[in-house]
Amino acid sequence: MYSNDICIDITNKLNTGVLIIDNQYNIVFWNRYLEIHSNRKTDDVVGNNIFQVFPELPQKWLKRKVEGVFQLKSQSFCSWEQRHHLFELQHTRPISTNSHFMAQNCTFLPLERKDGSDNVCILIEDVTDVCHYQTMLNKTLEELAQSNRIDGLTQIFNRKHWEECLEKEFSRARRYQHGLALIMFDLDHFKLLNDTYGHLGGDLVLIETAKIISSLLRLGDLFGRYGGEEFAIILPNTDIVGALDVAERIRVAISKNVINFQKSEIKVTASVGVAVISEEDTRYEDLISNTDLALYDAKASGRNIVCVAKHLIEA
Amino acid sequence: MSELNLNEDQQDCLQEIINVAMGQASDQLARFLDTFVYLKVPSIEQVSTLSLIETLSSNENSAAVVSQGFFGYEGIRGEALLVYKPKDSDRLADLLGYEPDELSVEEQIIDLSSILTTTFLNVFAKQIDNQMSYSAPRLLAGSQSAVSDHLAQQSFNWDLALKVKITYQVTDYSFNCDMILFIPESAINNIKSVIDRILEEF
Repeated sequence: MYSNDICIDITNKLNTGVLIIDNQYNIVFWNRYLEIHSNRKTDDVVGNNIFQVFPELPQKWLKRKVEGVFQLKSQSFCSWEQRHHLFELQHTRPISTNSHFMAQNCTFLPLERKDGSDNVCILIEDVTDVCHYQTMLNKTLEELAQSNRIDGLTQIFNRKHWEECLEKEFSRARRYQHGLALIMFDLDHFKLLNDTYGHLGGDLVLIETAKIISSLLRLGDLFGRYGGEEFAIILPNTDIVGALDVAERIRVAISKNVINFQKSEIKVTASVGVAVISEEDTRYEDLISNTDLALYDAKASGRNIVCVAKHLIEA
Repeated sequence: MSELNLNEDQQDCLQEIINVAMGQASDQLARFLDTFVYLKVPSIEQVSTLSLIETLSSNENSAAVVSQGFFGYEGIRGEALLVYKPKDSDRLADLLGYEPDELSVEEQIIDLSSILTTTFLNVFAKQIDNQMSYSAPRLLAGSQSAVSDHLAQQSFNWDLALKVKITYQVTDYSFNCDMILFIPESAINNIKSVIDRILEEF
């Protein structure tokens, strides 16, 4: 059996903070690791109250936590994911990470002393590295998810994400008996525009149109590029009167918009189709095809015009 | 799939150990949470990995799942999953004795899970002259898919799980959660030998 000295020697060489407190929250023991990383002297720490030595500790929370360990005699944990750190300690990567203090995983262990008194041992592990890389990973995943939703050219929702939104809004509208309107519009004679100004000119028109329409919409409206020069907008909680109002404003805004490309001024118009959810629609695709038919009517009626789905006029 | 294949005596013995553990754990919990804790006799069933993943995947309503590994002497080890329903996570801070603004809902759920798991398994271990250590509890993302993903990616090979369904009924804070203990095949055999030893001693 190793002697006590060896155990203390090992404890002092561990790359883990070890802190032991009694049931009065006085510090009974700490190891060299903590002495170095907290930059305090043992004489000022051992024998003193933990909350005086480390005023940064959340006192009420920690007391409840430690009470549980004393009472239930079971381990307890605290992860950096919920609390970045408990103790304000220095860490070894101050330059290559942006953590000001050491990120920590803490374990609370119940200890029964030979004299029958109870102690709690707090183990403090440096997880600044883990925290740093996990945070970077989460950020990257978020960016990836974002770019998966966005159309690269126009920076509005791409078709896939837009359709997923519509599917959700459709079932929500069904469940809560809410209104739901759909607007689809297509830029008129876009091919001609591409032929005249080249694809760069056409791209600029798509970008500028998406920008100007975005500025017209409410927060809850969902705007996406449906394909080529066709755009689509989901208007939750909106009836046909409201949808027609938005559609007309879209048509006017596009027709008044002048886009400067190289030395030319490009003007463009749009044909707009509008439909709202009706009893007969069983799937969200029904709503799309009704709106699409209205858009087709707008094209057939000479373009630069708003048309409503036929079955809504007849009803 | 391997089977626990417990004979009647072994089955009774295991049920009894778990009942006693539950009783003592609930007593400790009641003192700690300072409220009356009532729990039913836990149901123990053996489930296959496949059926369990299916059950968890079809259960749309679980709000959170917390995982915590445990390991003791004589090769007894496994992973505990605590599965919560959304409505049960509203007033946990109150129950745990924290101020609601002191900690996030995630932390409350993790904290409670750790308390439930360790309290139960500590008493369970004591019954069989063992002692448990635990890994830090982790919140598996709240959504269902994440839970089945996690199970599908399990690093240790278990094809059998012991499902201990515990319904905690706490006066004033009605909530319940399922505790599921995953025990890998090797550990199941170890539990069997421990049970046999206990039976011999009687």
